[in-house]
Amino acid sequence: MAVKGRWRLAVALGVVATLGVSGCGLNEDNNSSSGNSSSETVLRIGTTTDVSNFNPLQSLSKTDSWILNAMYPHLLRIDENAQKAPELAKEYRYEDDGKTAVFVLRDDFKWSDGKPVVADDVKFSAEKIMEYKLGNVAAKLTWVESVEAPDATTVKFKLSQPYAPFAEGVGFWMAVVPKHIFEPAGDLSKFANDSNWVGAGPFVLDSVTKGQRYVMKRNEHYPLAPGGKAAVSQVEYRVYPDVNTMMLALRNGDIDLMGTPVPISAAKTFEGDDKIKLEKVGALGFAHLTYNMKNKYLADQQVRQALSMAVDTKAIISAVLQGDGQQMAGPISPIFSEYDNTELQPYPFDPEGAKAKLSAAGYKDGNNDGFFDELSFGVACDQSNANITRVVQLFRESAAKAGIKLENECVERNTFLTRTKNGEYDIDASQWGVFDNPMDQLRSTYLSSNPGGINYNLLESAEMDALINDAAGTTDPEEFKTKIKNIDKVVHEQAYLTPLYVENFQFAYNASKFTGFVASPSDLLGMVTAYSLAQVTPVK
Amino acid sequence: MLRFVLSRALKAVLTVWIAITSTFFLLRLLPGDPTTLMVEGDMTPEMQAALLKTYGLDRPLWEQYVSYLRELIQGNLGISFRQIQPVTDIILDRLPWTLLLAGSAFVLTIAVGIPIGVTAAVNRGKWLDRALQGFGISANALFVPSVAILLLVFFGAQLGWFPIGGAIDPDTRGLGAYLSLAHHLVLPVLSLVLVQLGPYALTLRTNMIEVLGEDYIRAAQARGLSARRRVWKHGLRNAILPALTLMGLQLGTLVGGAVLTETVFAYPGVGRLIYEAVGQQDYPVIQGAFIMLAVTVVFANALTDMLYAVLNPRIRL
Repeated sequence: MAVKGRWRLAVALGVVATLGVSGCGLNEDNNSSSGNSSSETVLRIGTTTDVSNFNPLQSLSKTDSWILNAMYPHLLRIDENAQKAPELAKEYRYEDDGKTAVFVLRDDFKWSDGKPVVADDVKFSAEKIMEYKLGNVAAKLTWVESVEAPDATTVKFKLSQPYAPFAEGVGFWMAVVPKHIFEPAGDLSKFANDSNWVGAGPFVLDSVTKGQRYVMKRNEHYPLAPGGKAAVSQVEYRVYPDVNTMMLALRNGDIDLMGTPVPISAAKTFEGDDKIKLEKVGALGFAHLTYNMKNKYLADQQVRQALSMAVDTKAIISAVLQGDGQQMAGPISPIFSEYDNTELQPYPFDPEGAKAKLSAAGYKDGNNDGFFDELSFGVACDQSNANITRVVQLFRESAAKAGIKLENECVERNTFLTRTKNGEYDIDASQWGVFDNPMDQLRSTYLSSNPGGINYNLLESAEMDALINDAAGTTDPEEFKTKIKNIDKVVHEQAYLTPLYVENFQFAYNASKFTGFVASPSDLLGMVTAYSLAQVTPVK
Repeated sequence: MLRFVLSRALKAVLTVWIAITSTFFLLRLLPGDPTTLMVEGDMTPEMQAALLKTYGLDRPLWEQYVSYLRELIQGNLGISFRQIQPVTDIILDRLPWTLLLAGSAFVLTIAVGIPIGVTAAVNRGKWLDRALQGFGISANALFVPSVAILLLVFFGAQLGWFPIGGAIDPDTRGLGAYLSLAHHLVLPVLSLVLVQLGPYALTLRTNMIEVLGEDYIRAAQARGLSARRRVWKHGLRNAILPALTLMGLQLGTLVGGAVLTETVFAYPGVGRLIYEAVGQQDYPVIQGAFIMLAVTVVFANALTDMLYAVLNPRIRL
């Protein structure tokens, strides 16, 4: 008995000791905030990882932007139809033959410390981004020579040359920060902004428990919310690194909305649950096969067209996305309806036709193994992307019918990205993440100078450069659209890439508790834009 | 004794140095760099170069290594690339949670493993032994994340007995906070224990069977000692020594298992920190966390060795 007693004591001591050690981890909210009174409505949202950087000018993380977007206003927002809509800016226009972009601001936005949001805040944000080359907005400000704020509600960007989607790009991507808080911080490339937050969005961070939750309190002045402030008094982000756990938490009522989309294969699990509703949005990117023009054979338009005819996109959409995706013809996603190019048709799936085309172009199967002698390519992809990996398998099988031999070169993500960066592939199978406007997309993907590092074709074509630069400097909206549609057509004819599909994202929320979300396309912000959160109302 | 402790400490320092060096170079051998994964597009090569310069990754490898060691000796683990915060702060923030999780699992594995191992040994060959052995072997084959998800689905979502993820309800205070802490701890600990228990109980059973056949146990029987006293006092004391070494070794596995468990259970410990840092190639955080793990495992093993020497009179120092 004595032995047993000692064991019990030892176990008890062990438990007490570990509890004691971890005691210091308890109650570590670094600002105050606790206890929800019954009159408060708390909207709890699942996120996948901690905020890595609270400085909105610097952060490059998607999940950071979910929280930061609700705090720091942007001049423009993206609406349900992928169009830019007014947010802090009431309107924008170009002057001086497109060399000056003018934003007119609303006068009723307020920082949470009571000060108004003024043109000087916008000027300060832009100038600091340029000075310290912060985040991904720095590239969008390349053409800016100076920023002026002639009065409290007018901001003028003087450009070195006209660039048609300048205002859209900067308006959507650039966060506006409070000058009176950020200026005293000095070097903004080193400013962590990790406490005492002041924001002008519908919600402002109040306390953080790292690894667990982020509590945001309502800003009492938010003019874009019906009634001048959000109906929800508090937004709480909870961290679930595993999406399966997050789905269980939603079903269990621990959270009310998943910030991250539900995987297609898992969407069915919510079918029997009448509380949970799924909201479907389109993507701002798309999956594609892109051909390396440095490869002697892929530089041949006939080969690229034959490859495009050897991809069964319809079968891919039904097998990989369970039918939940759209086909594309050219490189401009159908989500941008104003650039709709209906006369363009995707290459038909016709392996025999592809074979005939290649024979006509002089390619031969000398050893009679069923494959054209020279036409053997590697298809590189990121093996952590299950959809794309499956696409590569299907592509490999269908291309074989056209006499083209493909090797599956799907590798670990970092290796893949490094190979892509160095141009070490024949065919790149991947997914573009977010293109918020076609002009930026065409510049990044086809300009010889490769400004964004994603010209995966490694294309150096004087003709394409001229077409793109000409469109970029066009300020007349109709003329601009015509030029973009023409580039779309040229890329399609050249078959520089084979677009595979635009997938849909589905966001799940508890419709028995909240309603009114305004979903934006893609998983960039999805349901958690500042505007959307400001429209949410509790279900009575 | 002093000589033993000194040589053991020297070996420990050497092991940690090797761990630090290999982590440092292995991370940098990985394809890509921390900017590779940041954002696709819109990041000009100049911006990438500027970021790499900020991180000090543009310098020659040996120079980075020397300056890293120099800082390390002064107790400085560096600044996280992503979080712009000292790595030491980031890790210390998460460490208590992993200690709580792994510590509780460690204690519970011993507390449950011993009776199981002993009972199986005493009932050798009977149905109880067979059942316990069957359990031990199947537990050995379990994979932490699958166990974790199954537990979550069944006890969390279906029955609703336990919360889905998290470590504590941050709104609770005082006793409520401790209760919430314990409530959140049950499933993650259970999944770790289920995986650890098999090898531990089986080792103990084998040792125990061996020990129970020894002369001194029969002598004790002849002296008229009760079966309970023979097994628990004389038998277990000797059988537990190899099991102790096993536990020391398994501490590493336990912390490794915490990476997966913490990720599935959204538990805010060092394991999840590692998972996130690897995804972002945040070298300083990965290095810091690995150094901490290496130190923990080396320290635990050194401690086990010394404890072994103290407990086992056959080893004279």
